Amino acid sequence: MDKSEQTQQQHQHGMGVATGASQMAYSSHYPTAPMVASGTPAVAVPSPTQAPAAFSSSAHQLAYQQAQHFHHQQQQHQQQQLQMFWSNQMQEIEQTIDFKNHSLPLARIKKIMKADEDVRMISAEAPVIFAKACEMFILELTLRSWIHTEENKRRTLQKNDIAAAISRNDVFDFLVDIIPRDELKEEGLGITKATIPLVNSPADMPYYYVPPQHPVVGPPGMIMGKPVGAEQATLYSTQQPRPPMAFMPWPHTQPQQQQPPQHQQTDS
Amino acid sequence: MADSDNDSGGAHNAGKGSEMSPREQDRFLPIANVSRIMKKALPANAKISKDAKETVQECVSEFISFITGEASDKCQREKRKTINGDDLLWAMTTLGFEDYVEPLKGYLQRFREMEGEKTVAARDKDAPPPTNATNSAYESPSYAAAPGGIMMHQGHVYGSAGFHQVAGGAIKGGPVYPGPGSNAGRPR
Repeated sequence: MDKSEQTQQQHQHGMGVATGASQMAYSSHYPTAPMVASGTPAVAVPSPTQAPAAFSSSAHQLAYQQAQHFHHQQQQHQQQQLQMFWSNQMQEIEQTIDFKNHSLPLARIKKIMKADEDVRMISAEAPVIFAKACEMFILELTLRSWIHTEENKRRTLQKNDIAAAISRNDVFDFLVDIIPRDELKEEGLGITKATIPLVNSPADMPYYYVPPQHPVVGPPGMIMGKPVGAEQATLYSTQQPRPPMAFMPWPHTQPQQQQPPQHQQTDS
Repeated sequence: MADSDNDSGGAHNAGKGSEMSPREQDRFLPIANVSRIMKKALPANAKISKDAKETVQECVSEFISFITGEASDKCQREKRKTINGDDLLWAMTTLGFEDYVEPLKGYLQRFREMEGEKTVAARDKDAPPPTNATNSAYESPSYAAAPGGIMMHQGHVYGSAGFHQVAGGAIKGGPVYPGPGSNAGRPR
Protein backbone atom coordinates (compact mmCIF):
# COMPACT_ATOMS: atom_id res chain seq x y z
CA MET A 1 0.00 0.00 0.00
CA ASP A 2 2.76 2.44 0.90
CA LYS A 3 4.62 1.66 -2.31
CA SER A 4 1.42 2.08 -4.25
CA GLU A 5 0.84 5.49 -2.70
CA GLN A 6 4.42 6.51 -3.38
CA THR A 7 4.06 5.44 -7.00
CA GLN A 8 0.86 7.41 -7.38
CA GLN A 9 2.40 10.50 -5.87
CA GLN A 10 5.41 10.18 -8.12
CA HIS A 11 3.05 9.96 -11.07
CA GLN A 12 1.31 13.11 -9.93
CA HIS A 13 4.69 14.75 -9.69
CA GLY A 14 5.03 14.29 -13.42
CA MET A 15 8.76 13.64 -13.51
CA GLY A 16 11.42 11.16 -12.46
CA VAL A 17 12.92 11.31 -8.99
CA ALA A 18 15.74 9.56 -7.14
CA THR A 19 15.04 7.31 -4.17
CA GLY A 20 15.91 9.98 -1.61
CA ALA A 21 13.89 12.61 -3.40
CA SER A 22 11.08 10.12 -3.68
CA GLN A 23 10.89 9.70 0.10
CA MET A 24 11.04 13.42 0.60
CA ALA A 25 8.29 13.88 -1.94
CA TYR A 26 6.24 11.28 -0.12
CA SER A 27 6.68 13.09 3.17
CA SER A 28 5.66 16.41 1.68
CA HIS A 29 2.67 14.80 0.01
CA TYR A 30 1.45 13.01 3.13
CA PRO A 31 -0.94 15.81 4.23
CA THR A 32 -2.67 15.60 0.86
CA ALA A 33 -3.24 11.85 1.10
CA PRO A 34 -7.03 12.23 1.56
CA MET A 35 -7.23 14.16 -1.70
CA VAL A 36 -5.69 11.29 -3.66
CA ALA A 37 -8.82 9.25 -3.04
CA SER A 38 -10.94 11.84 -4.80
CA GLY A 39 -9.30 11.06 -8.13
CA THR A 40 -8.91 13.70 -10.84
CA PRO A 41 -9.17 16.77 -8.58
CA ALA A 42 -6.30 15.43 -6.51
CA VAL A 43 -4.19 15.16 -9.63
CA ALA A 44 -4.88 18.78 -10.53
CA VAL A 45 -4.92 20.46 -7.13
CA PRO A 46 -1.57 19.35 -5.65
CA SER A 47 0.40 20.70 -8.59
CA PRO A 48 0.35 24.43 -7.71
CA THR A 49 0.52 23.74 -4.00
CA GLN A 50 3.26 21.14 -3.84
CA ALA A 51 5.34 21.79 -6.94
CA PRO A 52 7.21 24.87 -5.62
CA ALA A 53 8.29 23.13 -2.43
CA ALA A 54 9.28 20.01 -4.32
CA PHE A 55 11.24 21.96 -6.90
CA SER A 56 13.08 23.99 -4.27
CA SER A 57 14.45 20.80 -2.74
CA SER A 58 18.15 20.50 -3.50
CA ALA A 59 17.98 16.72 -3.85
CA HIS A 60 15.07 17.12 -6.18
CA GLN A 61 16.91 19.71 -8.24
CA LEU A 62 19.86 17.38 -8.50
CA ALA A 63 17.64 14.56 -9.72
CA TYR A 64 16.02 16.88 -12.23
CA GLN A 65 19.38 18.08 -13.52
CA GLN A 66 20.61 14.51 -13.79
CA ALA A 67 17.55 13.59 -15.82
CA GLN A 68 18.08 16.61 -18.04
CA HIS A 69 21.74 15.73 -18.50
CA PHE A 70 20.89 12.16 -19.38
CA HIS A 71 18.35 13.23 -21.97
CA HIS A 72 20.77 15.77 -23.38
CA GLN A 73 23.42 13.09 -23.78
CA GLN A 74 20.87 10.79 -25.35
CA GLN A 75 19.80 13.49 -27.77
CA GLN A 76 23.40 14.17 -28.70
CA HIS A 77 23.95 10.49 -29.41
CA GLN A 78 20.81 10.31 -31.53
CA GLN A 79 21.79 13.47 -33.38
CA GLN A 80 25.16 11.95 -34.19
CA GLN A 81 23.48 8.81 -35.45
CA LEU A 82 21.26 10.83 -37.76
CA GLN A 83 24.18 12.88 -39.03
CA MET A 84 26.11 9.71 -39.79
CA PHE A 85 23.04 8.39 -41.58
CA TRP A 86 22.82 11.41 -43.89
CA SER A 87 26.56 11.45 -44.46
CA ASN A 88 26.46 7.79 -45.47
CA GLN A 89 23.57 8.48 -47.81
CA MET A 90 25.54 11.15 -49.64
CA GLN A 91 28.52 8.85 -50.02
CA GLU A 92 26.39 5.93 -51.13
CA ILE A 93 24.60 7.98 -53.77
CA GLU A 94 27.84 9.43 -55.07
CA GLN A 95 29.14 5.91 -55.53
CA THR A 96 26.06 4.71 -57.40
CA ILE A 97 26.94 3.74 -60.94
CA ASP A 98 24.47 1.05 -61.90
CA PHE A 99 20.94 2.46 -61.91
CA LYS A 100 19.52 -0.91 -62.84
CA ASN A 101 20.39 -2.50 -59.54
CA HIS A 102 17.67 -0.88 -57.48
CA SER A 103 16.98 -2.00 -53.95
CA LEU A 104 13.27 -1.75 -54.75
CA PRO A 105 11.36 -2.95 -57.83
CA LEU A 106 10.46 -0.05 -60.12
CA ALA A 107 7.39 -1.78 -61.51
CA ARG A 108 5.85 -2.05 -58.06
CA ILE A 109 6.63 1.58 -57.29
CA LYS A 110 4.96 2.63 -60.51
CA LYS A 111 1.90 0.53 -59.68
CA ILE A 112 1.59 2.21 -56.29
CA MET A 113 1.90 5.63 -57.93
CA LYS A 114 -0.79 4.73 -60.47
CA ALA A 115 -3.18 3.68 -57.69
CA ASP A 116 -4.10 7.36 -57.55
CA GLU A 117 -6.63 7.89 -60.34
CA ASP A 118 -5.51 11.49 -60.81
CA VAL A 119 -2.05 10.30 -61.80
CA ARG A 120 -1.93 9.97 -65.57
CA MET A 121 1.58 9.68 -66.97
CA ILE A 122 4.81 9.00 -65.10
CA SER A 123 8.24 9.69 -66.53
CA ALA A 124 10.84 6.93 -66.41
CA GLU A 125 12.90 8.85 -63.88
CA ALA A 126 10.09 9.06 -61.29
CA PRO A 127 10.20 5.42 -60.07
CA VAL A 128 14.01 5.62 -60.04
CA ILE A 129 13.88 8.67 -57.78
CA PHE A 130 11.32 6.97 -55.57
CA ALA A 131 13.45 3.84 -55.26
CA LYS A 132 16.17 5.92 -53.62
CA ALA A 133 13.76 8.16 -51.69
CA CYS A 134 11.92 5.16 -50.26
CA GLU A 135 15.20 3.63 -49.19
CA MET A 136 16.06 6.83 -47.31
CA PHE A 137 12.54 6.91 -45.84
CA ILE A 138 12.80 3.32 -44.60
CA LEU A 139 16.23 3.98 -43.12
CA GLU A 140 15.11 7.15 -41.33
CA LEU A 141 11.89 5.63 -40.00
CA THR A 142 13.72 2.50 -38.84
CA LEU A 143 16.47 4.50 -37.16
CA ARG A 144 13.99 6.68 -35.29
CA SER A 145 11.99 3.60 -34.31
CA TRP A 146 15.11 1.89 -32.98
CA ILE A 147 15.64 4.82 -30.61
CA HIS A 148 12.38 3.83 -28.93
CA THR A 149 13.41 0.17 -28.87
CA GLU A 150 16.62 1.07 -27.05
CA GLU A 151 14.76 3.28 -24.58
CA ASN A 152 12.76 0.20 -23.62
CA LYS A 153 15.90 -1.94 -23.26
CA ARG A 154 14.85 -4.30 -26.05
CA ARG A 155 16.76 -5.70 -29.03
CA THR A 156 13.73 -6.46 -31.21
CA LEU A 157 12.13 -3.67 -33.21
CA GLN A 158 8.37 -3.87 -32.77
CA LYS A 159 5.29 -2.25 -34.21
CA ASN A 160 4.85 0.05 -31.22
CA ASP A 161 8.37 1.39 -31.76
CA ILE A 162 7.32 2.51 -35.23
CA ALA A 163 4.13 3.99 -33.79
CA ALA A 164 6.23 5.95 -31.31
CA ALA A 165 8.54 7.27 -34.02
CA ILE A 166 5.53 8.34 -36.09
CA SER A 167 3.93 10.20 -33.20
CA ARG A 168 7.16 11.94 -32.23
CA ASN A 169 7.96 13.42 -35.63
CA ASP A 170 5.60 15.84 -37.35
CA VAL A 171 7.00 14.92 -40.74
CA PHE A 172 5.38 11.50 -40.30
CA ASP A 173 1.91 12.89 -39.57
CA PHE A 174 0.57 11.45 -42.80
CA LEU A 175 1.14 7.98 -41.32
CA VAL A 176 -1.07 8.30 -38.24
CA ASP A 177 -3.89 6.35 -39.90
CA ILE A 178 -1.58 3.35 -40.20
CA ILE A 179 -1.17 3.08 -36.44
CA PRO A 180 -3.85 0.63 -35.29
CA ARG A 181 -6.05 1.39 -32.31
CA ASP A 182 -4.33 -1.12 -30.05
CA GLU A 183 -1.15 0.96 -30.34
CA LEU A 184 -2.79 4.11 -29.01
CA LYS A 185 -1.37 3.58 -25.52
CA GLU A 186 2.12 3.45 -26.93
CA GLU A 187 1.32 6.45 -29.07
CA GLY A 188 0.39 8.34 -25.92
CA LEU A 189 3.73 7.33 -24.45
CA GLY A 190 5.43 8.57 -27.58
CA ILE A 191 3.70 11.92 -27.37
CA THR A 192 4.67 12.18 -23.73
CA LYS A 193 8.29 11.60 -24.64
CA ALA A 194 7.97 14.14 -27.40
CA THR A 195 7.81 16.81 -24.73
CA ILE A 196 11.38 16.19 -23.65
CA PRO A 197 12.97 16.26 -27.13
CA LEU A 198 11.14 19.52 -27.75
CA VAL A 199 12.89 21.03 -24.77
CA ASN A 200 16.31 19.58 -25.40
CA SER A 201 16.74 19.82 -29.13
CA PRO A 202 14.30 22.08 -30.98
CA ALA A 203 16.72 22.14 -33.89
CA ASP A 204 15.86 18.51 -34.52
CA MET A 205 12.33 19.49 -35.50
CA PRO A 206 11.53 20.05 -39.20
CA TYR A 207 9.64 23.19 -38.17
CA TYR A 208 10.70 25.36 -35.28
CA TYR A 209 8.75 24.98 -32.06
CA VAL A 210 9.12 27.25 -29.06
CA PRO A 211 10.02 24.81 -26.28
CA PRO A 212 8.08 25.41 -23.07
CA GLN A 213 10.12 26.97 -20.29
CA HIS A 214 10.69 24.98 -17.12
CA PRO A 215 11.66 27.43 -14.35
CA VAL A 216 12.69 25.66 -11.19
CA VAL A 217 11.33 28.36 -8.84
CA GLY A 218 7.89 29.93 -8.63
CA PRO A 219 4.74 28.37 -10.07
CA PRO A 220 6.46 25.86 -12.41
CA GLY A 221 3.60 23.42 -12.22
CA MET A 222 1.26 25.93 -13.75
CA ILE A 223 3.68 26.96 -16.49
CA MET A 224 4.87 23.47 -17.27
CA GLY A 225 1.41 21.94 -17.24
CA LYS A 226 -0.44 24.28 -19.55
CA PRO A 227 1.97 24.35 -22.52
CA VAL A 228 2.31 20.57 -22.49
CA GLY A 229 -1.43 20.18 -22.30
CA ALA A 230 -1.90 22.61 -25.15
CA GLU A 231 0.61 20.77 -27.30
CA GLN A 232 -0.97 17.43 -26.59
CA ALA A 233 -4.43 18.80 -27.27
CA THR A 234 -3.16 20.20 -30.56
CA LEU A 235 -1.49 16.94 -31.50
CA TYR A 236 -4.57 14.89 -30.76
CA SER A 237 -6.97 17.30 -32.39
CA THR A 238 -4.77 17.17 -35.48
CA GLN A 239 -4.22 13.44 -35.55
CA GLN A 240 -7.58 12.20 -34.35
CA PRO A 241 -10.70 14.14 -35.36
CA ARG A 242 -12.86 12.51 -32.68
CA PRO A 243 -12.94 14.90 -29.71
CA PRO A 244 -13.44 12.29 -26.95
CA MET A 245 -10.17 10.58 -27.80
CA ALA A 246 -8.30 13.84 -27.47
CA PHE A 247 -8.85 13.83 -23.71
CA MET A 248 -8.61 10.13 -22.96
CA PRO A 249 -4.78 9.92 -22.85
CA TRP A 250 -4.51 12.58 -20.15
CA PRO A 251 -4.78 10.22 -17.16
CA HIS A 252 -2.19 7.89 -18.67
CA THR A 253 0.29 10.49 -19.81
CA GLN A 254 1.94 11.34 -16.52
CA PRO A 255 2.24 7.80 -15.11
CA GLN A 256 3.93 6.56 -18.26
CA GLN A 257 6.25 9.52 -18.34
CA GLN A 258 7.46 8.52 -14.90
CA GLN A 259 8.66 5.06 -15.77
CA PRO A 260 11.62 5.58 -18.15
CA PRO A 261 13.46 8.15 -16.01
CA GLN A 262 12.80 6.04 -12.95
CA HIS A 263 14.35 3.03 -14.63
CA GLN A 264 17.33 5.06 -15.67
CA GLN A 265 17.87 6.32 -12.14
CA THR A 266 17.67 2.81 -10.79
CA ASP A 267 20.15 1.49 -13.31
CA SER A 268 22.68 4.24 -12.61
CA MET B 1 1.85 -3.11 -20.56
CA ALA B 2 4.48 -3.85 -23.19
CA ASP B 3 3.59 -7.53 -23.20
CA SER B 4 -0.07 -6.89 -23.81
CA ASP B 5 0.85 -4.54 -26.63
CA ASN B 6 2.93 -7.26 -28.20
CA ASP B 7 0.17 -9.83 -27.86
CA SER B 8 -2.49 -7.60 -29.35
CA GLY B 9 -0.09 -6.60 -32.09
CA GLY B 10 0.52 -10.24 -32.87
CA ALA B 11 -3.18 -10.99 -32.99
CA HIS B 12 -3.75 -8.04 -35.29
CA ASN B 13 -0.88 -9.20 -37.44
CA ALA B 14 -2.24 -12.75 -37.68
CA GLY B 15 -5.59 -11.43 -38.81
CA LYS B 16 -4.06 -9.25 -41.45
CA GLY B 17 -1.84 -12.09 -42.64
CA SER B 18 -4.77 -14.32 -43.46
CA GLU B 19 -6.48 -11.47 -45.28
CA MET B 20 -3.42 -10.63 -47.37
CA SER B 21 -4.20 -11.81 -50.89
CA PRO B 22 -1.73 -11.80 -53.79
CA ARG B 23 -3.67 -8.84 -55.20
CA GLU B 24 -3.32 -6.97 -51.93
CA GLN B 25 0.41 -7.56 -51.93
CA ASP B 26 0.70 -5.46 -55.07
CA ARG B 27 -0.11 -2.41 -52.96
CA PHE B 28 3.15 -2.81 -51.04
CA LEU B 29 6.80 -3.15 -51.85
CA PRO B 30 8.22 -6.65 -51.29
CA ILE B 31 8.72 -7.32 -47.59
CA ALA B 32 12.13 -8.88 -48.28
CA ASN B 33 13.43 -5.67 -49.84
CA VAL B 34 11.95 -3.55 -47.07
CA SER B 35 13.42 -5.84 -44.42
CA ARG B 36 16.88 -5.74 -45.98
CA ILE B 37 16.89 -1.94 -46.00
CA MET B 38 15.64 -1.79 -42.39
CA LYS B 39 18.55 -3.94 -41.26
CA LYS B 40 21.00 -1.45 -42.72
CA ALA B 41 19.78 1.13 -40.20
CA LEU B 42 20.14 -1.16 -37.18
CA PRO B 43 22.97 -2.75 -35.20
CA ALA B 44 24.07 -6.22 -36.26
CA ASN B 45 22.46 -7.92 -33.27
CA ALA B 46 19.11 -6.17 -33.69
CA LYS B 47 16.01 -8.13 -34.62
CA ILE B 48 12.88 -6.97 -36.41
CA SER B 49 9.44 -8.40 -35.67
CA LYS B 50 7.29 -9.37 -38.62
CA ASP B 51 4.57 -6.90 -37.69
CA ALA B 52 7.19 -4.14 -37.70
CA LYS B 53 8.25 -5.10 -41.23
CA GLU B 54 4.64 -5.12 -42.40
CA THR B 55 3.98 -1.76 -40.76
CA VAL B 56 6.94 -0.24 -42.59
CA GLN B 57 5.66 -1.80 -45.83
CA GLU B 58 2.41 0.12 -45.34
CA CYS B 59 4.28 3.29 -44.38
CA VAL B 60 6.36 3.21 -47.56
CA SER B 61 3.30 2.81 -49.79
CA GLU B 62 1.69 5.68 -47.93
CA PHE B 63 4.86 7.74 -48.47
CA ILE B 64 4.77 7.06 -52.22
CA SER B 65 1.08 7.98 -52.45
CA PHE B 66 1.59 11.07 -50.29
CA ILE B 67 4.42 12.47 -52.42
CA THR B 68 2.82 11.38 -55.70
CA GLY B 69 -0.46 13.08 -54.79
CA GLU B 70 1.27 16.39 -54.12
CA ALA B 71 3.33 16.13 -57.31
CA SER B 72 0.23 15.24 -59.32
CA ASP B 73 -1.62 18.28 -57.98
CA LYS B 74 1.28 20.48 -59.07
CA CYS B 75 1.26 19.00 -62.58
CA GLN B 76 -2.46 19.63 -62.90
CA ARG B 77 -2.07 23.25 -61.80
CA GLU B 78 0.60 23.69 -64.44
CA LYS B 79 -1.43 21.87 -67.11
CA ARG B 80 1.15 19.13 -67.50
CA LYS B 81 0.28 15.44 -67.81
CA THR B 82 3.52 13.71 -66.87
CA ILE B 83 5.01 13.59 -63.39
CA ASN B 84 8.78 13.88 -63.57
CA GLY B 85 11.63 13.74 -61.09
CA ASP B 86 11.63 17.46 -60.35
CA ASP B 87 7.96 17.34 -59.42
CA LEU B 88 8.72 14.64 -56.88
CA LEU B 89 11.62 16.61 -55.41
CA TRP B 90 9.42 19.70 -55.14
CA ALA B 91 6.70 17.68 -53.41
CA MET B 92 9.19 16.25 -50.92
CA THR B 93 10.38 19.73 -50.03
CA THR B 94 6.82 20.94 -49.60
CA LEU B 95 5.84 17.99 -47.42
CA GLY B 96 8.76 18.18 -45.01
CA PHE B 97 11.28 15.79 -46.55
CA GLU B 98 13.75 18.46 -47.64
CA ASP B 99 16.62 16.38 -46.24
CA TYR B 100 16.02 13.86 -49.02
CA VAL B 101 16.16 16.38 -51.85
CA GLU B 102 19.86 17.22 -51.94
CA PRO B 103 21.04 13.60 -52.24
CA LEU B 104 18.33 12.89 -54.80
CA LYS B 105 19.27 15.85 -56.98
CA GLY B 106 22.69 14.40 -57.65
CA TYR B 107 21.13 10.99 -58.16
CA LEU B 108 18.63 12.32 -60.69
CA GLN B 109 21.27 14.30 -62.56
CA ARG B 110 23.49 11.26 -63.04
CA PHE B 111 20.52 9.11 -63.99
CA ARG B 112 19.55 11.59 -66.69
CA GLU B 113 23.10 11.60 -68.03
CA MET B 114 23.06 7.82 -68.28
CA GLU B 115 19.58 7.84 -69.77
CA GLY B 116 20.78 10.24 -72.43
CA GLU B 117 23.48 7.78 -73.43
CA LYS B 118 21.12 4.82 -73.24
CA THR B 119 18.48 6.53 -75.36
CA VAL B 120 21.00 7.10 -78.14
CA ALA B 121 22.26 3.52 -77.88
CA ALA B 122 18.72 2.16 -77.85
CA ARG B 123 17.81 4.09 -80.97
CA ASP B 124 20.91 2.83 -82.73
CA LYS B 125 20.14 -0.80 -81.93
CA ASP B 126 16.34 -0.58 -81.91
CA ALA B 127 16.27 -3.26 -79.23
CA PRO B 128 16.30 -3.19 -75.40
CA PRO B 129 17.15 -6.88 -74.66
CA PRO B 130 20.33 -6.11 -72.67
CA THR B 131 18.32 -3.96 -70.29
CA ASN B 132 15.77 -6.69 -69.72
CA ALA B 133 18.44 -9.31 -69.20
CA THR B 134 20.26 -7.19 -66.64
CA ASN B 135 17.08 -6.27 -64.79
CA SER B 136 15.79 -9.83 -64.66
CA ALA B 137 19.06 -10.87 -63.04
CA TYR B 138 18.13 -8.79 -59.99
CA GLU B 139 14.47 -9.78 -59.81
CA SER B 140 13.13 -12.83 -58.03
CA PRO B 141 12.30 -15.79 -60.32
CA SER B 142 8.56 -15.65 -59.68
CA TYR B 143 8.61 -11.96 -60.49
CA ALA B 144 10.81 -12.17 -63.58
CA ALA B 145 8.13 -12.90 -66.19
CA ALA B 146 5.73 -10.04 -65.47
CA PRO B 147 8.45 -7.39 -65.07
CA GLY B 148 9.84 -8.50 -68.41
CA GLY B 149 6.76 -7.24 -70.17
CA ILE B 150 6.59 -4.16 -68.02
CA MET B 151 10.26 -3.49 -68.56
CA MET B 152 9.76 -3.52 -72.32
CA HIS B 153 7.01 -0.99 -71.80
CA GLN B 154 9.29 1.03 -69.59
CA GLY B 155 11.88 0.87 -72.34
CA HIS B 156 9.35 2.56 -74.56
CA VAL B 157 8.59 5.08 -71.82
CA TYR B 158 12.30 5.76 -71.59
CA GLY B 159 12.29 6.80 -75.22
CA SER B 160 9.34 9.13 -74.82
CA ALA B 161 10.65 10.30 -71.46
CA GLY B 162 13.62 11.80 -73.25
CA PHE B 163 11.41 14.64 -74.39
CA HIS B 164 9.82 15.06 -70.98
CA GLN B 165 13.22 15.25 -69.37
CA VAL B 166 14.04 18.21 -71.59
CA ALA B 167 10.79 19.83 -70.50
CA GLY B 168 11.66 19.00 -66.93
CA GLY B 169 14.96 20.77 -67.31
CA ALA B 170 13.18 23.85 -68.58
CA ILE B 171 10.75 23.82 -65.69
CA LYS B 172 13.66 23.51 -63.31
CA GLY B 173 14.25 27.24 -63.73
CA GLY B 174 10.68 27.98 -62.73
CA PRO B 175 9.60 29.61 -59.48
CA VAL B 176 10.33 27.82 -56.23
CA TYR B 177 7.44 27.81 -53.80
CA PRO B 178 8.45 28.37 -50.18
CA GLY B 179 7.34 25.68 -47.77
CA PRO B 180 4.11 26.67 -46.02
CA GLY B 181 3.36 26.20 -42.34
CA SER B 182 3.62 22.73 -40.91
CA ASN B 183 -0.14 22.26 -40.71
CA ALA B 184 -1.48 24.54 -43.41
CA GLY B 185 0.70 23.04 -46.11
CA ARG B 186 -0.16 19.46 -45.38
CA PRO B 187 -3.16 18.10 -47.28
CA ARG B 188 -5.00 15.28 -45.58
